[in-house]
Amino acid sequence: MKKTQTDLLQGTLDLLVLKTLQSGPAHGWDIAQRIQQVSRDVLRVGQGSLYPALHRLEAQGWIASEWGASENNRKAKYYKLTAAGRKQLSAETETWRLFTGAVELILKTS
Amino acid sequence: MLNKLRLRLRALFFKPKMEDELQAELQFHIEREIEENIIRGMGPEEARYAAIRDFGGVERVKEESRDVRGIRLLEELRQDLRYGARMLFKQPGFTLIAVITLALGIGANTAIYSFIESVIMRPLPVREPQSLVVMKWRAKDFPAVAFKGFSTSTSGTYGNPEGGVVGSIFPYPALEVFRNKSSILTSAFCYFGAGRLNVTMGGESESVEAQYVSGEYFSGMGVIPVAGRLIISADDQAGATPVAILDYGYSKQRFGEAGSAVGQSIRINDKPFTIVGITPPEFFGADPGVVPAVYVPMHANLLLQPLLVHKVAEEQYLDRNFYWIEIMGRLKPHISLAQAQLALGLQFRNFVEESASNKAQLANVPELTILEGATGLDSLQHKYSRPLYILMAMAGLILLIACTNIANLLLLRSTARRREIALRLSIGASRLRVMRQLLTESLLLASIGGGLGLVFAFWAIRFLTLTFGVGRDGFTLRAGLNLHVLGVTAALSILTGVFFGLAPAIHATRGDLMRALQDDRALISLRGVRGALTRLNHTRILLAVQMALLILLLFAAGLFTRTLANLRSIELGFDRENVLLFSINPQAVGYEGPARNLLYKELREQLNHIHGVRSVSLSTRPLLSGSGTRAPVSVLGAPAPAAGSGASIPRAGLFRVGPAFFNTMRIPLIVGREFDGRDEGGASQVAVVNQRFVKTFGLDNAIGRKLSLGNSAYEIVGVVGDTLFLSLKETPQPMFYLPLPSAQPPGTVTYEVSTTTNPLNYVSALRQIVGQMDSRLAISDLKTQAAHIDQIISQEIVFSRVCMLFAALALMIACVGMYGTVALNVARRTSEIGIRMALGAQPNRIIWLALHEILVLGLVGVAIGGPLALVGSRFVQSFLFGVKPNDPLNILFTVLVLFAAAFIAGYLPARRASRIDPVAALRHE
Repeated sequence: MKKTQTDLLQGTLDLLVLKTLQSGPAHGWDIAQRIQQVSRDVLRVGQGSLYPALHRLEAQGWIASEWGASENNRKAKYYKLTAAGRKQLSAETETWRLFTGAVELILKTS
Repeated sequence: MLNKLRLRLRALFFKPKMEDELQAELQFHIEREIEENIIRGMGPEEARYAAIRDFGGVERVKEESRDVRGIRLLEELRQDLRYGARMLFKQPGFTLIAVITLALGIGANTAIYSFIESVIMRPLPVREPQSLVVMKWRAKDFPAVAFKGFSTSTSGTYGNPEGGVVGSIFPYPALEVFRNKSSILTSAFCYFGAGRLNVTMGGESESVEAQYVSGEYFSGMGVIPVAGRLIISADDQAGATPVAILDYGYSKQRFGEAGSAVGQSIRINDKPFTIVGITPPEFFGADPGVVPAVYVPMHANLLLQPLLVHKVAEEQYLDRNFYWIEIMGRLKPHISLAQAQLALGLQFRNFVEESASNKAQLANVPELTILEGATGLDSLQHKYSRPLYILMAMAGLILLIACTNIANLLLLRSTARRREIALRLSIGASRLRVMRQLLTESLLLASIGGGLGLVFAFWAIRFLTLTFGVGRDGFTLRAGLNLHVLGVTAALSILTGVFFGLAPAIHATRGDLMRALQDDRALISLRGVRGALTRLNHTRILLAVQMALLILLLFAAGLFTRTLANLRSIELGFDRENVLLFSINPQAVGYEGPARNLLYKELREQLNHIHGVRSVSLSTRPLLSGSGTRAPVSVLGAPAPAAGSGASIPRAGLFRVGPAFFNTMRIPLIVGREFDGRDEGGASQVAVVNQRFVKTFGLDNAIGRKLSLGNSAYEIVGVVGDTLFLSLKETPQPMFYLPLPSAQPPGTVTYEVSTTTNPLNYVSALRQIVGQMDSRLAISDLKTQAAHIDQIISQEIVFSRVCMLFAALALMIACVGMYGTVALNVARRTSEIGIRMALGAQPNRIIWLALHEILVLGLVGVAIGGPLALVGSRFVQSFLFGVKPNDPLNILFTVLVLFAAAFIAGYLPARRASRIDPVAALRHE
């Protein structure tokens, strides 16, 4: 298993999830849809990675979960950003900007 | 992070709920996906398939989510434990045997360890025992600077195994030397054993163990009284008001509630004292071997038992050449033992050199040695540490035997579980995972065994404490199941579990397991031969090891049992049955010389009147008390015999006795007469000698000859049979008996009362008579002669009993192992046996077939264990009596027992083998 790739992917996925939840609480399916839509179908989150990511983020205290009623009145698990999660989001965004900025610089020079 | 912890706890305790939630969450997602698919235009079935396919493995997602919870290891442990417990229940026979053998092994170790802990390791129950130090000194020989004398005390001086002498007593001024060094010691204090003092309160007298302590003793130790106050420096002055401190246990015994003793007045050695405080319940002084009932200030010694070495008694506190007190101190924080040794050693050397008065003394001055004082004085250690270590070694051997037994059984059992393990490995369990599960089973077994072992240990400790302390007053071994011991037991159980479980676990998960899946009868198929052979070899090795260990234990048991039998059958020379002993100390309550003589005579006559008493006598101390005088003596008119080891005048044992001594003790009177009334009170200068004396001095006619001792001459009036004098193990020596001196009668005497029935029946009558004579007189050391002798050999008694027990245990465990092995062997070879019988083999031949493996292994065991036993027995040589370590009879006995056991254990299954119906056996294929 290419550990580094997964790590990168994991980190990016975390960032996307946190960002998505910034606009309000959502359940897993919603989050996957939103990411797909907002990225104009470029990014499709595999369910196999989404749910472990959500549980991991919850374990670290950046999101909190709550059972609620969905659009068609079925029970669904809603996630929302916590205060710590907000902080983490801005930190990760910063890191991402720095990283991509640096990569851009290098790509420009060739 | 708190969150993670909360999650972990939830995951542990609310697993079903969390699983339901997970399921619900994923279910919802899939259903939404199905809806979307239907909206996009797929049919319901197609929508479902697409959704599930896209999701990609629900179980895997679940598993990854579960991983996040972080309690995987714990969960697996829980799984393993439940599985292990189920497996153990499935085979109750095996489990029971394993648990019981483990319990006995672990329990025995725990019991012995608890004694070791209490004797060697447990720190004094005072404040910060680690900073306490004990002062001692070393010298090449008894230092000449101590020319004013030594006094005896609990530890006194003893030979250093590395050569020279070690002493623990100091002159009183030395205390100042240590006290003044406040940069090294925060306090220095001293004490002196008073031995027994007569304590009278409320009209009742008894003789109790007491101790003199200096003013800073209690504060230096850091002891807080449970009532009243403790001795302070102001009390420790000549002429101060006499105060006493009582031990908690003693005050409870005498006054009911401890606190009510404070303020009471008592008489110690007939002098008035006031009780001012009680020590806390766990405190017992500085020496674990002695528990004083009463503590009095050092200077009270002037009042109670002046040592009478100096013309003016107070001089004993000033004399730099009179060694009598024991000193301890407390190190200042951050001062190491080495630093203290350096600084104080120098001071002490200066002190000692100043006290020397000539060159000869300067040549051999004592050097200060400072020892750690956390565990107090080491008198108990000296006495018990070696026997305890030996017992520990034996207990360890038993545990080893138990472990090899169980490892063997586990190995053989693993054949039955090969299919199960192969299956698990084939569906993806890692080898480590399966091994972990097997190991958990073993640990579970070991834990149950350990728990049961604690119960067994509890009783064992009780039993050992009783046996060790037979007949002793105030016995002080305080072994118990405290936290330290429990912790060690837990660690031992775990170690044991790993020890016997690891090898079988490794073995069970290796090897050609595909075959195991294919074969139904992996036991006897040829294809499983390699694995089976390895297993067989392991089994054989384990069994051989077991035999070797058994040899060791049987050998030891044989030696110690013979020793005990020899000790018990030693010819004492006097009657040990039906004699009652007791001591009184009239000097302590103020009886002077003539009054003592009168008292002794009165008491003897009164006791003689008791119905059922045959004869009464007295002596300065009982026979076989361990201490006595050997005096240089010569016979007028006879040539001096060859004296032993360079002494100028030969010495003979001197024993002072009252009238009718020989009759009372049933020592045969060979010729002449014994002491009687006319010799009482020193009227005549007479002596009685024993046969050995006659032989040594070559007297053909002893009666009428004159004995010369110092300046006095005594006429020999009788010859008696030889008796033992000081110790059980000595060879009879020349002895001469004199009547009790009249001018200076002994302050303490022992009475011997010979009775017609059980001596203990006469105790109350005895107490009554003594009480009537003088209520202040306390009776001490009341016991039968038989008990006195048993006390002397109590160590050997315990040893041999425990060894026999251990050997029997080991034998049982080993027999079970051998039985199991032979039985499984027979099962393994059922078809082979069937064939042989079908071809006409006799039943005896079959029995031999089944048994010979065990017997061969026995030989191997003897080959390994025999030399080990011979070497090991050298270590216990000092505990033996009448048997040499390489006693041929013992060797023979050991080997015989081993083979007998192997034969008996293996015979039953072997016989069953010979009864196998060949047809059934072949059909067993």
